[in-house]
Amino acid sequence: MTLPLSIRDLSVPGADGPLLTLPALDLPAGALVGLRGPSGAGKTTFLHAIAGLRERATGTVLWGDIDLLACGAEARTRFRARHIGMIFQDFLLFDELGALPNASLTAMFRPRAERRALERRAQGLLDGLGLPRGDRAVASFSGGERQRVGIARALAADAPVLLADEPTASLHRAAAEALIEDLVRLTREAGRTMIAVSHDEALLARMDRVLTIEGGTLIADTSPDTGPVTGTGKMTEAGA
Amino acid sequence: MIRDLWDGLPLWSQDLSSVLACLLPLLVVGLWLLRGFAPWPLVRAMLLRFRWTNALFVGLIAVSVGMGIGLIAQERGLRQGSARAADKFDLVVSAPGSEMTILLASVFLQPSDVPLLDGETYDRIARTETVEIAAPLAYGDSYNGAPVVGTIADFVTYLSDDRIEGRRWQAHDEAVIGARVDLAVGDSFTPAHGHGATAEEDAHDHSHFEVVGRLALTGTPWDRAILVPVEAVWEVHGLSNGHAPERQADHDPAEAHPGEHDHEDGHDPDHAQGHDEDPAGDHRDAATQDHEDARDPPEDHDHDDRHGDDHGAEPLGPPFDPAYFPGTPAVVVKAEALWANYALRDEFTEAGRSMAFFPATVLTQLYAVMGDVRQAMSILSAVTQVLVAAAVLTGLMILGRLFRRQIAMLRALGAPRRFVMAVVWSQASALLIAGTLLGVVLGVGATAGLSQILSARTDMLIRASLGWDEIRLAAIFLSVTSVLSLLPALSVLRAPISDGLRS
Repeated sequence: MTLPLSIRDLSVPGADGPLLTLPALDLPAGALVGLRGPSGAGKTTFLHAIAGLRERATGTVLWGDIDLLACGAEARTRFRARHIGMIFQDFLLFDELGALPNASLTAMFRPRAERRALERRAQGLLDGLGLPRGDRAVASFSGGERQRVGIARALAADAPVLLADEPTASLHRAAAEALIEDLVRLTREAGRTMIAVSHDEALLARMDRVLTIEGGTLIADTSPDTGPVTGTGKMTEAGA
Repeated sequence: MIRDLWDGLPLWSQDLSSVLACLLPLLVVGLWLLRGFAPWPLVRAMLLRFRWTNALFVGLIAVSVGMGIGLIAQERGLRQGSARAADKFDLVVSAPGSEMTILLASVFLQPSDVPLLDGETYDRIARTETVEIAAPLAYGDSYNGAPVVGTIADFVTYLSDDRIEGRRWQAHDEAVIGARVDLAVGDSFTPAHGHGATAEEDAHDHSHFEVVGRLALTGTPWDRAILVPVEAVWEVHGLSNGHAPERQADHDPAEAHPGEHDHEDGHDPDHAQGHDEDPAGDHRDAATQDHEDARDPPEDHDHDDRHGDDHGAEPLGPPFDPAYFPGTPAVVVKAEALWANYALRDEFTEAGRSMAFFPATVLTQLYAVMGDVRQAMSILSAVTQVLVAAAVLTGLMILGRLFRRQIAMLRALGAPRRFVMAVVWSQASALLIAGTLLGVVLGVGATAGLSQILSARTDMLIRASLGWDEIRLAAIFLSVTSVLSLLPALSVLRAPISDGLRS
């Protein structure tokens, strides 16, 4: 299952005015989208808003035919559990646990019938990402290994959408290159939609489209291959 | 109907049910939160993350729970130990005074100055038909810290349920020792006058006793006592020994029968005076009857043995001659039947002359006071537990903030609020359960240690045991605090997820 994203009149208020305003944005299902911009521009706010994590956000965030912002808090949670996987800059793993319990974390709150399948998928992903089996706590893992565990956790739930916040920022170059390769491969293989906030040009270069945000508004929507995007999946510049 | 059903349950079943009822809030909250989830790896991770802090929490909880449990268990152990010590003392008759003082002196062998009961009253008690044993007690001496108590041989048998290594005394200079006295059968000793540091070691230099028997352990202060013939105590202190001089000169084995007067003359109040007229003949006749009497105390036969050992010049044991009875601080009375004690108490409670009381009743009054003290201490202990629980829950709230990002991550990945609450609540409950269980062990252990110390100091056998009261206390503590643990669980959900991820 893949999901297209359609945003209309998205606004995320802050203490001193809107943190993000986005009149319109359409992303096709299965697109790999990069999000760039200076620090504090609103990239992570955008990511959180489309995941339904900003409670005061207004407008429409339509994943397929589900308007996430119109849902209540628990409905948004259920939606995320089924449809969105997330990768974080500093991994956010439980250091005392091994790779598999971290990768299969979401199994703990899934129905009993689904747990075994999710754990198998997590183990398969860990194996595919070259992580050693065993009970060794992830606290002893390298940064690259830890982020691979993070990727496995995001993909183990088999969610059609992957949201990544600076997935390579904590890694050295070689590890980042390897991780980008794995991330793109696994995302494309499953036809998932991925939106990745990043400053990493190498990652952005592998995306289908790259959005640029500054001052809480979208100022550019380009394709690394074809330049500015128009037509289907077109971004409407914020405030325009 | 429910009441009947409840009353029909075995006691253990009622206790178990009450404990489960106490645990019900914990079980309900736990089932509600954990239903359908498997958060244990996360709980384990969170416990391991701050393991030393958590260990401190567990220790604090254990100490507070252990204090409460130790208090209840120790109070019960003391109560049972003191009740056991008074078990053989159905009724005590003494001169008017403080029941508590007489109780402490007679049951717990605590030295004290008490007025003496006269010979006529003793004689009246001993002659009463329903009285099986009327044992006068005489205190005042000691040996190596062990009180020397004068009494009659029948009381020795009664006190130990006839479990004696060796034999009872058959002469004035023989003694039977309690199980924990540091002497052996065959040893000799000279008692000191008085007790403790003020005891005069050489006051009774002329007096020597040989140990002829050792009582089995009774778990009472009497285990540390040295029992000697009451006549010997009186004699050592320069008093008459309770027997008329002419009776001693003409003493015949048959005279020793304590029940003789009862059967001979049917409680003739002037019987004591009869000794002067024809004591020997009188006693001989009575003795013949006594041998056929089912209540015939074994002491009679000992007298026969004694005379066989050529101790005929020393009358030993009852009957005593009121005119030569120096007085006794207390008479321990064993009635033929329990019901008779009530009539005896009424009969021998005479204003200005004597008082009779049930040690168990005095102890009950003492327990009531102890109960009040226990209640006060229980409240203090409960306050301590509440404070510790509050401190631990506050600590968990602070620790919860340290897990704020992980909690936000869980929510971002789609964990329901109930799951997050289950994780935090389980962490708190694991600490509370571990602390409570450790507290129970600590409480029982501390009580056991304290019981040993108290047993050594009071010579009462005080046993520490885990009772249903303690289990109920632990269950209530666990239930209340586990319900309160919902507070830190709820507090972690208050922060917006987005803020948590950025924190």
